[in-house]
Formats: sequence, structure tokens, C-alpha cells
Amino acid sequence: MLMQLTLGGLSQGMIYALIALSLTVVYRSTTVVNFGHGDFVMAGAFLSYVLVVLAGVAFLPAAALAMIAMFVLGVMFNRGLIRPILGGPHIGLALMCIAAGYVLRGLARMVWGREVLPMPPVFDMDPIFVGELVITGDAVFIIGTVLVLLLLFFGLMAMTDLGKMVQAVYQSPRGARLIGLNVDRFNDFSWGIGAALGALGGILVAPVSLLHPDLGASFLIKGFAAMTLGGFGSLGGAVLGGVLLGLAEQYAGAYIDSALIEITAYVVIVAVLFIRPQGLFGRKAVVKV
Amino acid sequence: MTLLDVKSLSVRFSGLTALDDVSFTLEEGNVRAVIGPNGAGKSTLFNAISGYVTPTSGTVHLHGHELTQLTPHEIAERGIRRTFQNGGLFPALTVLENVLTGLHAQTHGSFLDILLGRSKALKSEAENIHRARELLKLMSMEHMADTRAGDLSGGQQRIVEIVRTVASDPPVLLLDEPAVGLSPEARAQMMEIIHRLAGEKGVGILLIEHAVELVMAAADRILVMAAGARIAEGTPEEIREDRAVLEAYLGHS
Amino acid sequence: MSQTMPTATQRRLRTYAFWAVPVLLLLLPLATNPYTQFIANGMLISVLVTLGFTLTIGNLGQLAFANTAFFGIGAYASAILAAKLGVPWLLTIPLAGAFGALGGFLASAAALRGIRTYYLAIITLAFGELMRWAYLHAKPVTGGTDGMPMPREALFGISLGDDSLKFYIFLGVTVLLVKATLNLMRSRFGRAVMAVRENEIATASLAIPTARVILVTFMWSGFVVGCAGALFARHVGHVFPESFGMLHLIASFAMVLVGGLGSVLGAVLGAVLLTALPEYLRAFPGMEELFFGLIVAGVLVAMPMGLASLLRRLSPVFVERFYREAP
Repeated sequence: MLMQLTLGGLSQGMIYALIALSLTVVYRSTTVVNFGHGDFVMAGAFLSYVLVVLAGVAFLPAAALAMIAMFVLGVMFNRGLIRPILGGPHIGLALMCIAAGYVLRGLARMVWGREVLPMPPVFDMDPIFVGELVITGDAVFIIGTVLVLLLLFFGLMAMTDLGKMVQAVYQSPRGARLIGLNVDRFNDFSWGIGAALGALGGILVAPVSLLHPDLGASFLIKGFAAMTLGGFGSLGGAVLGGVLLGLAEQYAGAYIDSALIEITAYVVIVAVLFIRPQGLFGRKAVVKV
Repeated sequence: MTLLDVKSLSVRFSGLTALDDVSFTLEEGNVRAVIGPNGAGKSTLFNAISGYVTPTSGTVHLHGHELTQLTPHEIAERGIRRTFQNGGLFPALTVLENVLTGLHAQTHGSFLDILLGRSKALKSEAENIHRARELLKLMSMEHMADTRAGDLSGGQQRIVEIVRTVASDPPVLLLDEPAVGLSPEARAQMMEIIHRLAGEKGVGILLIEHAVELVMAAADRILVMAAGARIAEGTPEEIREDRAVLEAYLGHS
Repeated sequence: MSQTMPTATQRRLRTYAFWAVPVLLLLLPLATNPYTQFIANGMLISVLVTLGFTLTIGNLGQLAFANTAFFGIGAYASAILAAKLGVPWLLTIPLAGAFGALGGFLASAAALRGIRTYYLAIITLAFGELMRWAYLHAKPVTGGTDGMPMPREALFGISLGDDSLKFYIFLGVTVLLVKATLNLMRSRFGRAVMAVRENEIATASLAIPTARVILVTFMWSGFVVGCAGALFARHVGHVFPESFGMLHLIASFAMVLVGGLGSVLGAVLGAVLLTALPEYLRAFPGMEELFFGLIVAGVLVAMPMGLASLLRRLSPVFVERFYREAP
């Protein structure tokens, strides 16, 4: 039972980790929290659905195409709508992101109405039984894919100059500009990566869940909860926060009440911000009043 | 008469001593300058007196009443008002509205009176608008009353901030570098305002200022600080002669 | 650049206009059919929701998204009081306002703990979603997914199902709350709210209790929106959890922005302009989301100060300030 829950929590948590990580990538480069990110996730899932079910593309190339499309969308959104108001108040930026999310959601609904779409299973593999534990192909695939991706991401950050650039822009965008870094292009890149990683989260959950245009909202909150728990702005914290949130949901749902699965994320947000606002690894988030 | 009495005030942040056992008094109608190199603890001293930083030890008394543990707005209400080094005006509000915020505690009428538009609240509001306009007239700023504070020049902003700060007739005024970035004319005007507040209204003024010649001209007494501690205290003449000061501060400027 | 202020004559004109609008609106039910009357009633509710919202995000400048929660709390409070406890609906309006204010108190607790900007946005979003979860799961009290029907009631022998009667009640409540909010904004309180937005540290140095200003602003916002919730419960006759989700939030954003952040006049304009259109869009799935999303993005890029600022440039009559000159 505990093992089964842990496996379920891990595979959910990996998705959350991916979403929180993609939010953090954008936040660290532009200090914009993408309140429309849930809909980017949804858009990724829908694009892959279109390619697989309607266009008959195989899953892996479809996933790659969807991520590339979302990368381009992220870059365009940053260039066209975020950069012009970047110096303005937080409120404008937050509202811009929300607006973009609604546009994506509206487009999805225009095409699909209020239907709920099941995606055909991608990994038609027989579950593996290890004692009482049932390991499904989906769980293996999700956990495996995200793990590989995380290794790649943090590996690149540690081994290449990219990591230093990310750090430099986060510490002081102006300083980064002064030492000759093309901050605008870097921000475009971050938005693209953020959108593509978020979309991947959607692509990975698509085969194991039902698709509908509103599915982004809950992923946004989960991503926030993971970020808040791990510490806002911390890349590693986002991943750890996501995994912990996935586990917490499963345990709370099984051992306390199944209705709690839906609100674990909210409870985590409220509790962390009131008790330890900087989360596990973050900077101090509170101003003195 | 002694207005402000600061006794052995100290502030420590996680092992670092920002303010080290500073004591002084401020008399009615006197101008006391606080000088010292950057990092000497001048701003910490202001923040500790006005409640933005809680002192680790020591006391602050105004008219013999202790203020040490009060919050910034409570201290302001007791009669110590301050300006800010990098400007504390509200850019989106007009000059008149900015001055009116300085009269917040002087405007009567409860929340309910305001909500229902009762005459008690309206009358007090009208009186304060009148008063704010009079104050602006004194500074020849009445034609600027409806200008957004954010659209004023730097010098005008400093003056409006002082008008706002003294609108409620506080007995003690803390001015944090009021002349920084001002033109020579605006500087002269600022000096005259400080003289008038102290001389005519008897306000006790504590003044942080970097321009040494200005400090020598304006201050009755000078407190010299370095590394959080007081290194000298006296009249401008005495300070000019003080060897410790020359070494710690004047020697570098 | 000095702003041209309205002259004494213009100010008098403005006062007359303020009262003339609701007086003229008394005639509106003569000119409407049931459908347009229903939409007009909805506009009045939107005015209050937008007004409450603009206070916290526009005037106080806090990134707080709890207004959908206040709205739901008000609607459910009204429905529960009326249906379960038999309280006459008219009486539930101020009570729903009080519950909304309680919601405002909770939201301000986060702001007062020093949780600001994005953190405040996230925690208030979580607050709204938690409330929705509560409506869904507190089935014995809220009816769960089936929602809460409003009991039949009559006033002066006329059924409260009558849209014209509802219009007069909604109009009365809306005028009272808009006037009270104007009184607040054009007083030391309104200035203090703006001061906190502009520079919280300097505000405290002027003997203004900033924590109290934040608390009271949220509570008044909650009160106004809570009252609107009670009107909404009667307006649609049945309270469902879905009414208080994210779509309501983006619609409110659009109304606030189109009118102009922090402007009472703008709140009224934005609400009136943007209430009717979505009614027509509702038949086409996705159009509402697309419409509000594009409006918000468009306004942010092209007209960040909203319609109120355009009007202000047109005539000083529309200048809104935070003090009130003696007549």
C-alpha cells in the first residue's frame, strides 16, 4: 500500500516538478510569474492530442513537435506582450499572463467545446507486478522521462556557461547586460524553454488523464504549491517541492480523506507562506510591515 | 526646553553593531546636525528614533515620554516626523493631496462619519484643505497644488516633502539629507526654511547632511559619528577644531 | 504638468449628474424586455464587483485575487441564510456584506503577514479555490454540485422573481455603495490607501496606521463584493460553485482594466460595457475566454490607464481626486 502510494505520488510529483521548474526558469530570467502557465501545459497536451489522434503522427515525434511549437509560442509571447510592459507594475505583468492563458483556453474550447477527450494509451505495456506493487508503463515512462530531462537540465546548468548566465541574470539583469550578455535574447530563450517544459508536463499527463480546456488551472496551482514549498526562485527547490507535493497528495488522500487530494496544494501554499515563507531553499519572501 | 532625549541607543543586526551607545539631547528651536562618513550609522540612528528599526538597547524620550518600543506611525503621531533620503513623496498624488496626507491624524471623523459623508468629517476635511493651501502659499507653491508630485523637479519635491512633514506642527523634525542633489539656489532656500522652522516655530531639528559648509552654517550643535559610535559633539566651532573629527571625517573630504 | 481641476460649476454639475443617472434609470424597466432587463440587473452586480476589486488592486495596489472568493461567500451566505434559516432576502444583503468583509479580513491577514506581490496573488488564488472546494464538499450546507436554490419570496405582494422589482432593489444598493465608496476615496482614508500603494514606509511616517488601512480596505472591498454576491444569488435564483471560478475572475480583471485601475468612474464604465457582450458570446464555446483574454492583453498594451484617463483628458469634469473641496 505505502509503496504503491509512493509510486503514484512520484509519478504525479514528477509532473509537478516539471511544471514548477518551467515556472521557475521564466521567473528567474524575467522575474515574471506566469499566471497563465497552466494553460501552456494544457496547450501542450492538446497539441500532442491533435497530432497523435487527428493527424496520426506517432507519439514521440508528436511530442517533439508540440514542444517546438510551444517553444516558439513562448518566445513570441515574451517578445510581443511581456517585453513592452516589463518595466511596469507587477499587476500588469500578472494580468498579461492570465490573459494569455485565457486566450489559449478559449481557443481550445472553441475547437473542442465542453467535450472531455480521452487520449489513447501510449504505453500499452503490461503492468509489472513486484509483490503487491503494480508498476504501470505510464508510471515508468513519466518518471523515466522526467528524470532523464532533469539530469540533462541540471547537467547543462552545471557544466556549461549557461548555468553562470542564468545566475548572472537572476542576480542582476543590468549587470548581466553590462558584461555584454544579450539579456533580451536570454529572456526569449527562457520563455521558450519554460513554455516547452510546461507543455511536456501536459504531454506526459495526456495519456493518463482526460483532456479538457480547463485542465490547466489545477496544474498552475500545483506548480505554485511546488515552487512555494521548494522556495520561490530555487530550481532545485521547485523539483523537490513538486515531488514532495505529489507524495503528500497521495498520502493525505489515502490515509485521511480522498477529497483532500484536490486541496493539498492549496493547504501547502497557505501553510508555507504563513509559517516559512521562504520555503525550503528560497530567498526571504516577506516584507516588514 | 529639552524635546528629544536619546540615551545610550544601540542597534545590533546579527552580530554587526550599526549603532553603538549614542546619547544626545535636542532642545526646542535648535538645529542639531549629525555628520559622519558613509556607514557611520546616521541613517540607523534616524530609523531607530522614528521606529523603523527596533533598538537593541537604550531609550528615546519625547517631552519625557518614552517612545522606544512604539511603531513608526505611533511615533509620528506623538510628534516626531521625518523625511527620507531618497524622497518619500507619493508620485501619483497631487501636491495638495501629498500635504493632506501629512494632516491625516489632524483630520477628524470616524470611518463611519467618512462613509456616510457626515458634516463632522466634511468640515474637518475642508479646514485641512484650507490649511494645506496656506502652507503651500508660505512656500510660494500654491500654484503647484494640483500638479502630480511625480512631475515636480527634485528641488520642488524636497520642499513639498518638508511642507507635508511639518503640516501637523510636529515639535521634532528629522531631515535626512534634505539638500542632496539640489541646485545652489534651492539649497539656499532649503537652509532658509530650516532656519525659519527652528527660529520662528521652535521646532527641534535633527539633520543628516553631507555638505559640510552647509552643516556649519545651519547647525547649533553637531554630532559626529563613525562606525556607529559618537566620536565628537559640540558647536560648529568646536567641531572644526576637533582632531578626532579631522582625522575620521573632515580629513577625507 | 499641472492637472486642470473641475471648477465649482463643474463640480456642481457633477453632483447633479451623479443623482440624475439613477433617477433616470428608474424609468428603464419601462423600456426593456425580460431579457434586456435581466442583463441590466447583471450590470449593476458587475458594477459592485468591479468597484470592490479596483479598490484592492488599483487603489491599494495589492496583487490580491480574492474578490471571486468574496463574491462567492456573499452569494452563499445569502442563499444559506434565506433558504436554511428563513431570513428575508433583503436582510441577507448587509449580512452577506458582513461575511464578505470577514473574507476580506482573512485575505488581509496574508498581506499583513508581509506576504506581497506574487505571493499574495498565489495565496489569494488558493483562497478562492479553497472556498470553491468548500462549496462542493460541504454538501449538507451548500448543496454540493447541485448548488442552492433561492426560496420564493415576495415583497409588497410582488414576487422577487420579478426582474423589474429586482432592478429597483439592485439599483438602490448599487447607488448607496458607490456613493459610500466615493466618500471613502475622497477623504483622508482614500488618500491613505493611495499612499500605502505609492510608498508604504513613508506613509507610516505620517502617523498613518498602514496595517489598519490595508485591513479596512480589504474589508470594505469584501463588504461591497459580498453585497453583490447576495444580489447575484437572487439574480440567478440558484447558486452554483462554478459561478465563482476563474472565468468570473478574468471578467472582473477585464472590467477593472478597461475602466481604469483605481477609478470609481472606471469601475462603473468597465462593468456596464463588459457585462452585456459576454451574454451574447455565451452561445459560442470558448468565445468568452478568448474575448476577455484579448481585451485584457489589448488594454495592457494600448491603454494601460483605461477609459477613465481618456475621459479625464476630455474634460476636467471627469477628474477624480482624493479630497473633497467644500461646495
